[in-house]
Amino acid sequence: MSDYKIGEFEEIVMYTVGILHGNAYGVTIKDEIESRLKRKVSVGALQVTLRRLEHKGLLSSDHGDTEDSRRGRPKLFFSLTAYGKNVLVSIRDNRNQLWDALPQVIIDLK
Amino acid sequence: MMQPTNPPKLPWTFLKWFCKSEYLPDVEGDLLQYYDRRVGVLGSRKANWLFVKDVLLLFRPGMIRSIIEYQKLRIMDLLLHSFKVSFRNFKKYRSSFLINLLGLSTGLACVLFIFLWVQDELAVDQFHTKGDRLYQLLENVDQDGGVITRATTAGPTSLGLMEDFPEIERAVSTTWNSSNALFIGDKSITADGLYAHDGFFHLFDWGEVQGNLDQLLSEPNNIVISDQLAKSLFGEENPIGQTVELEGEESFQVSGVFNGLPEASTIQFEFVIPFSKFWNDNEWSQNWYNTAFSTYILFKEGADVVAFNKKVYEYIREKTEGRANHRSPFATSFGDRYLNGKYENGVQAGGRIEYVQLFSAIAVFILLIACINFMNLSTARASRRLKEIGVKKTVGAARRSLIIQFLSESLLLMGISMLVALLLVWLLLPQFNLITEKTLALAFTTELVAGVLIILLGAGLLAGSYPAFYLSKFKPVAVLKGTLSTSTGETWARAGLVTLQFTLSIVLIVSVIVVFQQIQFTQNKNLGYEKDNILIMDVKGGLADSLKYSTFLSEVSQVPNVVAASGANHDMTGHNGGSSGISWPGKDPNDRTEFERMFCKQGFIEMMEMELVDGRSFKEDFMATDWDKIIFNEAAIAFIGMEDPIGKKVILFGNEVEIIGVVKDFHFDSFHEEVKPAFLYLEDDYTWYIMAKLAAGREKETIIAIEELHQQMNPGFELDYRFLDEDYQELYEAENRVSVLSGYFATIAVIISCLGLFGLASFSLERRSKEIGIRKVLGSSELSLSKKLIFDLTKMVFIAVLIGLPVSYLIADSWLQSFVFRISLEIWFFAAAGLITLAIALITVGFQAIKAARLNPVQFLKDE
Repeated sequence: MSDYKIGEFEEIVMYTVGILHGNAYGVTIKDEIESRLKRKVSVGALQVTLRRLEHKGLLSSDHGDTEDSRRGRPKLFFSLTAYGKNVLVSIRDNRNQLWDALPQVIIDLK
Repeated sequence: MMQPTNPPKLPWTFLKWFCKSEYLPDVEGDLLQYYDRRVGVLGSRKANWLFVKDVLLLFRPGMIRSIIEYQKLRIMDLLLHSFKVSFRNFKKYRSSFLINLLGLSTGLACVLFIFLWVQDELAVDQFHTKGDRLYQLLENVDQDGGVITRATTAGPTSLGLMEDFPEIERAVSTTWNSSNALFIGDKSITADGLYAHDGFFHLFDWGEVQGNLDQLLSEPNNIVISDQLAKSLFGEENPIGQTVELEGEESFQVSGVFNGLPEASTIQFEFVIPFSKFWNDNEWSQNWYNTAFSTYILFKEGADVVAFNKKVYEYIREKTEGRANHRSPFATSFGDRYLNGKYENGVQAGGRIEYVQLFSAIAVFILLIACINFMNLSTARASRRLKEIGVKKTVGAARRSLIIQFLSESLLLMGISMLVALLLVWLLLPQFNLITEKTLALAFTTELVAGVLIILLGAGLLAGSYPAFYLSKFKPVAVLKGTLSTSTGETWARAGLVTLQFTLSIVLIVSVIVVFQQIQFTQNKNLGYEKDNILIMDVKGGLADSLKYSTFLSEVSQVPNVVAASGANHDMTGHNGGSSGISWPGKDPNDRTEFERMFCKQGFIEMMEMELVDGRSFKEDFMATDWDKIIFNEAAIAFIGMEDPIGKKVILFGNEVEIIGVVKDFHFDSFHEEVKPAFLYLEDDYTWYIMAKLAAGREKETIIAIEELHQQMNPGFELDYRFLDEDYQELYEAENRVSVLSGYFATIAVIISCLGLFGLASFSLERRSKEIGIRKVLGSSELSLSKKLIFDLTKMVFIAVLIGLPVSYLIADSWLQSFVFRISLEIWFFAAAGLITLAIALITVGFQAIKAARLNPVQFLKDE
């Protein structure tokens, strides 16, 4: 899995989808990222990223019921696929390996 | 709950336009959820701005749809769906589908016929590649009674023009066509040909030419022949350089062969001989005074024809030294001659173009009538389809897609009708060609395909537009609740359209009656002579000799069943030749009026059964000395202004002649013309025609006997003969065809209108079934009910009669103005047209109405 490259924003989106387990759709994902990471997310960027991840097989989507709050439009719920989870694990392992390789001097830097 | 505010429309529409359709609901949902939240927190202004920003940021590669995929999906699906629904509708409402199909396909077939005919007419003489610079020289001839326009010019005209007018590239003169026997040894073939200047094949494109184009007609003994003539004369041999003899007297050398002279040419011939030959043989053709030849001019690029016309006017005056100032020549486009060939008082006044316009108008009428049927039946049927529309609208169909559905339904029906119409045209084309004497073919040329497509789209959109826009307008709630009632406007529109249909039909019927009556009138009117059973024979070959001629004439009169025989230089149909060489005491010296010249043999007046109003006829005795006697018609005597003319003298060609008789005016020209002054004079040599009156019923064997006689006395020549009444009918050929064709078209128009009425009547009776039932239950009798229903259904036709009759009166009156001798418009023409229309309409709806009135009311009232 180490040869799989995903971007930083993509990684954040995947984490968020995982965090929101079962309730991850456009609006909640955007809200979650904005409140947790204190950064602005545009609908466009988010939508494109979601579709790209879905296309790569890292996320899957499923239509929910229509809702009045969305004026009759259905919610499109996203969830992590097993493959997506594996990618996240592999990324974390790579990071950890690198982190573990850091000399103590660097970690002690203030 | 408060109505939520909507995000700004423009960016939203933009989003819907560019976003991939499968992403759209979700993206929209997100945006709307944000929007509503923001409106609550930040206010709608801020929310709007943020919405715009979001949309703009969404406009990026991952989101934008592909153009092709999107359109393919929508349009194809929509059309397929529309067609499926249309077919189901056709199947479900079979009767109105059949009425529409029948009406539209006959209507379209008529339109196609007229289209083919008009196209053919418009193509005549248009195939010459230099056609835009090709002109013909005509002459306005000033006569006492007005100006007449002739296509005849003097012999030296073309050569003179070429020499003196630098703007002319080339000019040629030709003679009239004449039929001659061509000999090779003992073999002879009769063919039609003319004399023309070298350059005839430069100006015009007479198909493919073999031989040296510059020397086709340069020597007086050249001859150019058609490929068919070459084949029948020489078989497979190379014809070029071969020798043929004309009339067995002079030999000509074939200098060229032309191949495929188009049928769309008014000039038709099988061989051409150099004009110089005619010039040399006929001294009279060499001066500027005798006009007999057609002159064609090819101008250089950019030549000023208006300026030329001014110059040529002076030019002819100069050449004739002021002695023929009544002739004013002018050049007119050769290509326009066929359609715009009629001149009145020297001014262009239509011609065949009028028939082209007339038939185009009829085509539009018929198509309109057929389209109205479709419109009426579709809107009337609307109530049955309202539920379909309501349900479609409820599940989200836009008005646009409903419009597309109705339009495609009408286009589909029009397409099917067009196929049926093409089949009809293909089947009936031979008949149509018989009537029009054309050789039209249903070839799928670009023009025809374009025409068919234009008619198809035009008629489809026209017929479909009203139902499409009208039906798609309904509010679904009203439709489904059943609260929608037919508006008075709609009923009015439908009644108005039916009235229009029948008005058009009545105009057509009256026109047909009037045209037919006028033709009958011209053909049965007393002409002043008896045209039936008169055989006209051409004098040619050895008979063109005084002695042989008289022998043949007396032999012919001996043939059994020949009642009488005589000869003349006039064929009695049309203007043959005039003379201004008559003078009398007190004649205005500037008067150049031409008297129709009829040189004839003894017994001519008696054979023709012309009536003498005064004096006597020429003595039948061949020894009698009536050579210096003359007989005038009444018009001539009136023109001269002579009282008590018998025994008085006039000067004819310089000789004094005595008036011995006056014949009652007889028609030798078309009924479009007044009877002109004419005179009869004895011919001492042979005449151009021999005429014989045959006993009625024995024509066939008499002609065979005369042919045998001709064979003996004039070997090598076939007897060319025809009957005078046939010739006479040809004078009115154009009117005859118009009357026959318009008869058919009017019948079809009435049938189509009635089909529409039939459909509408059955529909409206069906809708009113409850009303009928209640009326019956309350005691209405079948009779009064039928009367009421019939009246309700035919009142539109009554109104149409009231509108149509005055309109048709005006049209008929203006058409008749073009005849000098015409019928008067009688009341019964209009009464007949009105009654025919009403009767057909009554029959159409009557049976249905009576049937409806007689049904048991329980059947109508039991349900609901």
